[in-house]
Amino acid sequence: MRKSRLWTALFLVPPLILFAVVVAYPAVSALRLSFTDSNLLGGAVNWVGWDNFADALGDKNVRHSIRITLIWTVAGAVFPPAIGLALAHLLQSSSRFSVVMKSALFTPLAVSLVVVGQVWIWIYQPDGLANTVLGGMGLEGWQQAWLANRSTALWAVFIAWSWQQIVLALILYLAGLSTVPAELAEAARVDGGNRWQVFRKVTFPLLAPVTTVVLSLVSINSLRNFDLVFAMTEGGPVRETETLPLLVFRVLLRELQQGEAAAIAMLLFLITLAVVGMFTWWGRSKSRVL
Amino acid sequence: MGRAALLIFVIIYLIPILGVVLTSFKTNAEIAARGIWAPTGSLTVDNYLSIWRETNTPRYLLNSLLSTVPAVVLSIAGGASIGYALSKLRPRGGAVIFAAVIAGLFVPPQVLLVPLFTLFRSWGMIDTLWPIILVHSAVGLSICTLVMRNFFDQIPDSLRDAAAVDGAHDGFIFTRVMLPLARPALAALATLQFVFIWNDFLYPLAFTQSDGVRTVMLGLLAVQGQFTVAYGVQGALAVAASAPTVLVFLIFQKHFVRGLMAGSVKG
Repeated sequence: MRKSRLWTALFLVPPLILFAVVVAYPAVSALRLSFTDSNLLGGAVNWVGWDNFADALGDKNVRHSIRITLIWTVAGAVFPPAIGLALAHLLQSSSRFSVVMKSALFTPLAVSLVVVGQVWIWIYQPDGLANTVLGGMGLEGWQQAWLANRSTALWAVFIAWSWQQIVLALILYLAGLSTVPAELAEAARVDGGNRWQVFRKVTFPLLAPVTTVVLSLVSINSLRNFDLVFAMTEGGPVRETETLPLLVFRVLLRELQQGEAAAIAMLLFLITLAVVGMFTWWGRSKSRVL
Repeated sequence: MGRAALLIFVIIYLIPILGVVLTSFKTNAEIAARGIWAPTGSLTVDNYLSIWRETNTPRYLLNSLLSTVPAVVLSIAGGASIGYALSKLRPRGGAVIFAAVIAGLFVPPQVLLVPLFTLFRSWGMIDTLWPIILVHSAVGLSICTLVMRNFFDQIPDSLRDAAAVDGAHDGFIFTRVMLPLARPALAALATLQFVFIWNDFLYPLAFTQSDGVRTVMLGLLAVQGQFTVAYGVQGALAVAASAPTVLVFLIFQKHFVRGLMAGSVKG
């Protein structure tokens, strides 16, 4: 018995020390820093209470960042999952050809967001694919510099991101659909349900656990997305696409304001907890109905 | 969907990827004359030769490999070790340890970035690969512990107990009995972690400065600034940077999907 306790310690202590030093302690210390005026230049650190939070919430730029981050998260929870689910329905087939096609279709998920950003810059630049296609369709009036225009930049980056996240939703929904017994949907069809009714009343409820997973993962990706926005616009034009992750990065490493950056990062953490908590709660309540 | 429709759909969806690959084989003269997106008549490997000779790409790729592989191994080894202890040895406070490690999944990287910069600076690690290895090893423990504990939970306790009665100690049971059984879960995590860490951009950007320690994702952006108009060179570098993860992904796709699903099933 004593020997087994020694082994338990050997299994747990080394990795937990790593976790404590690099994750747990920094997380707690970020919380503490968010109540100070600490900066990366050194000097005395003072406790400032809620000042950083009050300053952040009173700042027009921070409020803009919060707003576009939330818009992105909501749009991200709607479009990629919905399109992924629709595609999963169309692509349900296990023929050899379809399996090969699906493997190819999944590759965007293995490509880094920096590379995704680079190629979508090529699509959006003034002589890029988007404007060429619009020109070909006779829609010259719609052509523009998508990433330089303040009213289109955010959605242009969002579409590039969705291109990858749709594949994530698709993969998970295909895996989910393969566990839904075909006889069930067939039985409902025989009972006189049309396609849409069968989907809504039979298939979709059975997919509720997968939907929870998809919504949680996609939302966490929304709220973490730094790489793509940085690669495509660095937050510009002006600060139009500066989502919260970019804002934290700039305040910390460009303005060197550690305390303020910590406070904004905490706001991001709270939003993440609220969003993921909501989907998990929704998933629990759904599966209880089943 | 019919075969033809499916084929056309997949090609259209992958136009961004096909565009990069095609551009990487075009001559600069052709790109200048006809643009990036025009179909091409002649192909060349010049762009690959020039990233090899004129940029620091070999170094970038090596740096990515040197930071990714140790972090993949350490995070999985640590997660398997915690997962085994929690599942089969059931120490007091195990539930608290599990909750604390899993909570890491929900902490945005930006939260950790704020204090970590100061921490690594005080250890003299800024502008080395160490912060990238340490952060990814530690952050990865959350997902690896979740998947491995769930996996070991499915293995009956009697298996471990029988071996223990025969006199085997837990170090032996873990490495000789449990880990071989856990091969599918280990493969799933290895694929997931490799793709995730290789592709990461935030931590290398925050913790390194000089060209010699850049990972390939940082190198990509640096070269983009350096060769503003040489699309062919940018394309070649993008292909070189993506090849390792795309290959791993295509070969181990089943494991990758299983890893995603396993990681998201609540313990």
